[in-house]
Amino acid sequence: MTRISRQVCRLLITLALLLIGGCATVQPWDRDLLAQKQMSFNPSPMLQAIDAHIYFSKEASMGGIDAGGGGCGCN
Amino acid sequence: MRVQLEGPKPPSRLRDTLHTAALALLLVPATAKAQSDPGDRIDFTSLFYGEQSRTQIFEPVVRFTHLQPDGQSFSGQLAIDVITGASPSGALPSGVVQTRTTSSGRTITSPAGQIPTAPFRDRRVALDGEWQKPVTRFLTSTVGGHFSREKDYQSTGVNGKISTDLMRRLLTITIGGGYSHDTVFPVGGTPAGLSDGLVVHSGSNAKKVENILLGASRILSRRWMVSINGTRTFESGYLTEPYKVLSLMNPVTGQPSGELTDKRPSTRDRTSVLLSSVYHLSDDVLYTSYRYYWDTWSVRSHTLDLKYRHELDEGMYIEPIVRYYTQTAASFYTVGLVQGTPLPEFATSDYRLGSLQTVTIGATYGFHLDASPGDFTVRAQLMRQSGDSSPPNAIGIQRRFDLSPPVNIFAVVVGYSFGD
Amino acid sequence: MTVKPRSLPFILAVLLLMLHAPAGFAASARNDHPLAPDFTLPTSSGPVSLHDFRGKVVYVDFWASWCGPCRQSFPWMSTMANKYAADGLVIISINLDKNREAAGEFLEQFHPPFIVSFDPAGKTAVAFGVDAMPSSFIVSRTGRIVFSHEGFELSRAAAIEDRIKEALASDQNQ
Repeated sequence: MTRISRQVCRLLITLALLLIGGCATVQPWDRDLLAQKQMSFNPSPMLQAIDAHIYFSKEASMGGIDAGGGGCGCN
Repeated sequence: MRVQLEGPKPPSRLRDTLHTAALALLLVPATAKAQSDPGDRIDFTSLFYGEQSRTQIFEPVVRFTHLQPDGQSFSGQLAIDVITGASPSGALPSGVVQTRTTSSGRTITSPAGQIPTAPFRDRRVALDGEWQKPVTRFLTSTVGGHFSREKDYQSTGVNGKISTDLMRRLLTITIGGGYSHDTVFPVGGTPAGLSDGLVVHSGSNAKKVENILLGASRILSRRWMVSINGTRTFESGYLTEPYKVLSLMNPVTGQPSGELTDKRPSTRDRTSVLLSSVYHLSDDVLYTSYRYYWDTWSVRSHTLDLKYRHELDEGMYIEPIVRYYTQTAASFYTVGLVQGTPLPEFATSDYRLGSLQTVTIGATYGFHLDASPGDFTVRAQLMRQSGDSSPPNAIGIQRRFDLSPPVNIFAVVVGYSFGD
Repeated sequence: MTVKPRSLPFILAVLLLMLHAPAGFAASARNDHPLAPDFTLPTSSGPVSLHDFRGKVVYVDFWASWCGPCRQSFPWMSTMANKYAADGLVIISINLDKNREAAGEFLEQFHPPFIVSFDPAGKTAVAFGVDAMPSSFIVSRTGRIVFSHEGFELSRAAAIEDRIKEALASDQNQ
């Protein structure tokens, strides 16, 4: 791993910790907007998969699958 | 949202639609329906892809998803790619007309001053399956598998991930991993690396891909959520492109006088970190993501992706897309090799491992028709790829040529989704 | 980022297999029985208060139109309301939609035979400590929360019905 990469990585991890540790809260009954299908990191998985396939074959990078989360928070 | 809670399911309705859909050919994901509604759904998509005077791809995909009332879901997908056209061989343009013979015995002629390309035709069949199960109210696990096969490549793999909701479901942590065993069996046999095409063996070559995924997503407000995802991918085995070549240049004139095969290292460790944000304005939604990628071949890249979904009347929407991508070249990338100098350990002239930029603009339009129960999607994208047109190590006549003419790509995806 | 994943896929595979073994959802039954916070909320036919039903068993249900499992709970609650009305069961559902129109569209589909009240600000939900959508509480004839449940699944509804019967029976002589 190059030095720059390590720095970028450290920066991103710090950002992640800030984001996780933040005290912002949303009540379960306030998730009306979050429950909408378009409020997703990947609302159209099939379109996204086709794009990923195109870019994977035309560029040297890969990765960036969204891990999920958000949503209705029901049950 | 239309949900059938009581009463028998109408299986014939789905079958009828399947039939209609098969006739209509085109199909995509619903918008108004909540993901948690039990039932069956079918998604069809078709990709039409064209590069200016290079590759054409037609890829129909059909996906079936069954969601149970207990939250378990099963899905299966079949995709078929039909690829025709030509791609750059890796060789340099010449001052005169170039003629060469491919491994499959075809003769190719390239005009003077133009990047030589090799024609190809392939068909790929890919099967995917996934099983998602809520283990507890706060833990979901997903297992999946895939199989794909084309003329000279086969891939078999499994993957899995676990997601857990924490902090009153404001935080979701995901860990996952996958393993894929691939085999490469080049047409005409596997050539030795950095040789004039001497075939070493006619069997297959193994390639292993292992990856791990770690992600966290956080709801920051009623309208805003963000996530960070890291992936590491370890590839080992045969990572060379058997049909790509490099030109041997005359040290003074730069005129190509021969070709050697491509040779890449047998391991590659790749890392990506993705930051994403989804923000709900009053009706519209803004999607933003940034990805940083690096690997042990010294490729580093930045990707910025923006989408803005604008709601129209009656559940229709239009979503403009902008994407910018830039990468640095792999350490062993070179425009060509110089005759009379010692050969490097690894070398490639594959433009995809050179420094390059891609700019994409496009839009998705989602709509439905009164006559049809499902949702339609049409996405059109224009991509423009450009590389280093005048690399510093070009010699002689090569300085006169555009060694990386921009490539324009037009891709259209049409989709139709139906579920009950 | 120094994790070597050589063995990770295998560990994950084992973990996933274990997780895919059958497992049930856990309900959160509370042992202590706190007094239910009183409330007065509007309905389409005038205000309703919890204290009006002292002496009855009240099933309080928090829901919203955008909540998938809530759609499954409505027909079930209708059945319960009709089945146990004579035994002293009252169902008060509390809608938490910000937008009354959305709630109205939902109700059009179900025409529930029980009380539907509206609390767009969610004050009652805060008082009851609602942690998921939907959430339900069984309030005894003496006004105590004897059972609470988060989420809704038809496969687990019979267990809730048992608790309703229990509440209807146990308080009968008090």
